[in-house]
Amino acid sequence: MARAVRPRRSRRTLTTVLVLVLLSVTIITLDETGRAEFFTSGVKTAASDLYSPLRSGVNGVLDPIGRFFAGAVDYGSVEQENQKLQEKITALEHERTAAASASAMYRALQRLLATDRLPSVSALPKVPAEVIAQNTSDFAATVTVDKGRDEGVSLGDPVIGPGGLVGEVVTVTHTTATVRLLTDGKSKIGVSFGHQQEATLDGTGQGRALQIEYVPTTSPVSKGELISTSGLQGAAFPPGIPVARVVSVRDIVGAADKQVTARPLADLADLTYVEVVQWAGSS
Amino acid sequence: MTGRSAVRTLVVVALVLLAQTTIILEIRVDGASPDVMLLLPIAAGVAAGPVEGATVGFVAGIAADLLTPTPLGLSALVGTLVGLAVGAISGGVVRDLRGLPTLVALVSSAAAVMLYAVLGAVLGESQFLHVDLAGVVAVVAVANALLAGPAVRLMRWALAGDAERATAGGRR
Repeated sequence: MARAVRPRRSRRTLTTVLVLVLLSVTIITLDETGRAEFFTSGVKTAASDLYSPLRSGVNGVLDPIGRFFAGAVDYGSVEQENQKLQEKITALEHERTAAASASAMYRALQRLLATDRLPSVSALPKVPAEVIAQNTSDFAATVTVDKGRDEGVSLGDPVIGPGGLVGEVVTVTHTTATVRLLTDGKSKIGVSFGHQQEATLDGTGQGRALQIEYVPTTSPVSKGELISTSGLQGAAFPPGIPVARVVSVRDIVGAADKQVTARPLADLADLTYVEVVQWAGSS
Repeated sequence: MTGRSAVRTLVVVALVLLAQTTIILEIRVDGASPDVMLLLPIAAGVAAGPVEGATVGFVAGIAADLLTPTPLGLSALVGTLVGLAVGAISGGVVRDLRGLPTLVALVSSAAAVMLYAVLGAVLGESQFLHVDLAGVVAVVAVANALLAGPAVRLMRWALAGDAERATAGGRR
């Protein structure tokens, strides 16, 4: 009897696993080749539309609880007056933290306003948005903002933050949008620097320096130089948006190009408020 | 998997997904955050065997993929393979030995993260190999090892009938 049970269980295991693996591979193929993009992106959009309000609700509940426990004082066995004094100190520390946070937020908004007023983007319509989630995956440098299709955000829209370009919109739902940051390995931006020199700025991973490709060895580029979007015909970004600053330049013997790295101007690790530029792009 | 255990499993997946995308994402060690969705197929494999591990891995993977910008289906594939491997290897051994679920979670989580990066690169997502893979592996593996015990108990509850059948089969 045991012998009959074991082969049946093995067959069941094999069948189940084969079906699941084939299903996974099929879904991956459909998603990657774009053959059923209307289905795969539609499903992702629907899931995000359903899930976003739930996540916001949970975050709204957990934040005060977290602050309560963070602010809980060690009552111990001290006298009542000492207890009251401790509570007072905690309350004052919270006020100071809140004030510091508000001050930091004010500075970030001021920088965002300065970027907003740049000639390259001041005339373009923009959608202000707040970052509600950072890096939903360890393998992708992205942020999620609280504005979506309903507010006029479109796929491919550039996103600016305090200091300069932050990235571009890669997925949109009705109420949220996912922004691929400059540092993401898939990010490639046409840039210009110096005297109308064109190049490509590539992301190399979260927290890593950006790589500038196709800089000829004869090109005069120096450390500290400002890099801006080039806005060539059909470009994904309007021209002239500050993006990064050169941090290192290396000439490699025998190579046709220089090895140039840069750091983003916007603080991508600490984004709170951004603006989505409603950029139609040149045809 | 019975109907009742399927419903309980779906509830567990939904709750863990909610935790992952709210509280867990806030925890960052050198830029990497834990991935407790990966723990579900591991715990299911330990608690109930390879079929349940693979099935939970597929469901949890699809749920995670729907909310991330990475290829749809990739987490499902990795989850299926990890759940299958853990379920097949652990058999009756891990259920009887205390502490081994922690070791299994540590090793299989590390393997799963590396498998995810390699499969992603094969699919054209070459940037997966540009992240701080060692850091991500360490954070995910250690976090899952710490949570392995409660996770196995949770999946044992969710897969109640299946877990009992697996235990009985393992002890023969």
